[in-house]
Amino acid sequence: MKPIIHITWEYPPFVVGDLSKRLSDTLPRIASRYPTVLVVRGDSDGVFEADGMKIYKAGPSVRTHPHILTYAHLLNLDLIRAAANALHDNGGASLIHSHDWISSIASAYVSSYVGCPLLMSVYTTEITRSGSLKSLLSLGIFDLERHCFQRAERLFVQDTMMREHLTKEYGIDRGRVVLGNDPETILETYRRFLG
Amino acid sequence: MLSWEYPPHIVGGLGRHVFHLSKVLSSRGVKVQVLTFTDGSSPPEEMADGVRIIRVNPYSLRYPDFASWIHGLNLLLMERSVTLRDFDLIHTHDWLTATSGIALKHVMRKPLVATIHSTELGRRGGSLKNEHERHIHEIEWLLSYEAWRVICCSSYMVGEVSRFLGCPPNKIVKIPNGYAPESFPKPAQLNRRDYARDDEKIVLYVGRLVYEKGPHLLLEAASKLKRGDLKFIFVGDGSMKPYLVDLSVKLGISDKVYFLGHVPDDVLHALYRLAAVAVFPSLYEPFGIVALEAMGLGVPIIVSAVGGLDEIVQHGRNGLKFHPGSSSSLAEAINMLVDNPELCRNLAANARESLGTFTWDRVADETIKLYELVLGEYKSGSWKPRV
Repeated sequence: MKPIIHITWEYPPFVVGDLSKRLSDTLPRIASRYPTVLVVRGDSDGVFEADGMKIYKAGPSVRTHPHILTYAHLLNLDLIRAAANALHDNGGASLIHSHDWISSIASAYVSSYVGCPLLMSVYTTEITRSGSLKSLLSLGIFDLERHCFQRAERLFVQDTMMREHLTKEYGIDRGRVVLGNDPETILETYRRFLG
Repeated sequence: MLSWEYPPHIVGGLGRHVFHLSKVLSSRGVKVQVLTFTDGSSPPEEMADGVRIIRVNPYSLRYPDFASWIHGLNLLLMERSVTLRDFDLIHTHDWLTATSGIALKHVMRKPLVATIHSTELGRRGGSLKNEHERHIHEIEWLLSYEAWRVICCSSYMVGEVSRFLGCPPNKIVKIPNGYAPESFPKPAQLNRRDYARDDEKIVLYVGRLVYEKGPHLLLEAASKLKRGDLKFIFVGDGSMKPYLVDLSVKLGISDKVYFLGHVPDDVLHALYRLAAVAVFPSLYEPFGIVALEAMGLGVPIIVSAVGGLDEIVQHGRNGLKFHPGSSSSLAEAINMLVDNPELCRNLAANARESLGTFTWDRVADETIKLYELVLGEYKSGSWKPRV
């Protein structure tokens, strides 16, 4: 079976915030059921094995960014480089799973190249982080989130409030939003796609 | 081929370059697909001159600045390119489409060739003053690093890409730009008296009104010349225009200067015919395709001895050169030329003759040769798609 590729901007030891902790609780359990490859922003390019996964890390190629949006675009270029290596080394992917908006460009692009389903876990959005869209920068991030969210076949959310939020603010069809971001819910959804 | 500009959306020389190159490559049997920008006023897909043109509209996303706008454009170019599998090589132009070229290279494992037309450090006069400029500079570095080969249009640019971006010289290939005389429409019918008095000879400037093109030097030279028989006509627009208008007043030469702004190509052609001399006083000029146009239309030229202009013009043979940044040296050159009709005739005749090598056919030949070299190296290596 071709692996499931998870794409994220953080996973231990490359910790930025809370997402690392969540993923280090979730992904090893998924990896015990399906062949799993993780693509993560790291300190340099490389491949190693941990927590039952093959992990492809991508070092930053551009270090100066005027703001978070330019950072996000270049981060995704690095993630695409690592994801491309993961694809070609492992014979493709059966499914791409993206974590948070910041790695969603790479995930959407790689899944459309492979032609496999794209799933996304949404923890926060620009509106929930910023309160409202007051600046052009916030609007830019919101548009990018919406652009990528709309490419996902399923979006995992923690609660009904986030489901309503994605439906109302991002125009996501309610039937594509899966309630629950825990390993069991995720595995159940995988089974529907992978049989 | 990836380019942020392509007809009908033209910003500068890059769009014209990609247009001519792709057209001639196509006529040589190379299947060319150009991925580029649209604002919605041009079709999302069309065939023209044997070239398949695919356009994406980045205005579906909002952006706080130009760099983000460019990244959004590249995101859409990347997404659109996913359906294009039948190509052997990716050719991208400048940092503006670097990221989509690099993404395509890695995902499809196809070789990437980059043309670097100019650099941020060069455009900014050798220093980077803020994070936007450093961001662009680093993307240029990344492009030169990721490309299998880098094409530059002049020896000057080969040096600049090697020096500023740390690109190994043996990875850079010099292919000078071409000139397409047939691309100029017939000259418009102009009344000379709308532009200058009968006793005034016209000194013509064509280019953007930005510092790196040196339009202020021509005003300073005009002031130093103190000649009543010259009219200085500026074609082009840019951020420096209000400053230049003020400067002409301060120098007391506002009645000798005419800022025309952008003009259609047929009017430009007619202006070249009216001009006694065309001046290109750039402080930074990777190539100087506009000088080739003036030479092709039979106008004697004066250029600053900088960048590509310095390589195109041989002083006293096909044009005159002056010291870059020196308005006194420029004034001297203008004086020498406008009072010497025989020198003008000789320079113009030699200029036309020297254009022989600057053809798009030659550019296409050298580009195909480079493509073959890159594909040969690629085929003999182990880096191949496995998906």
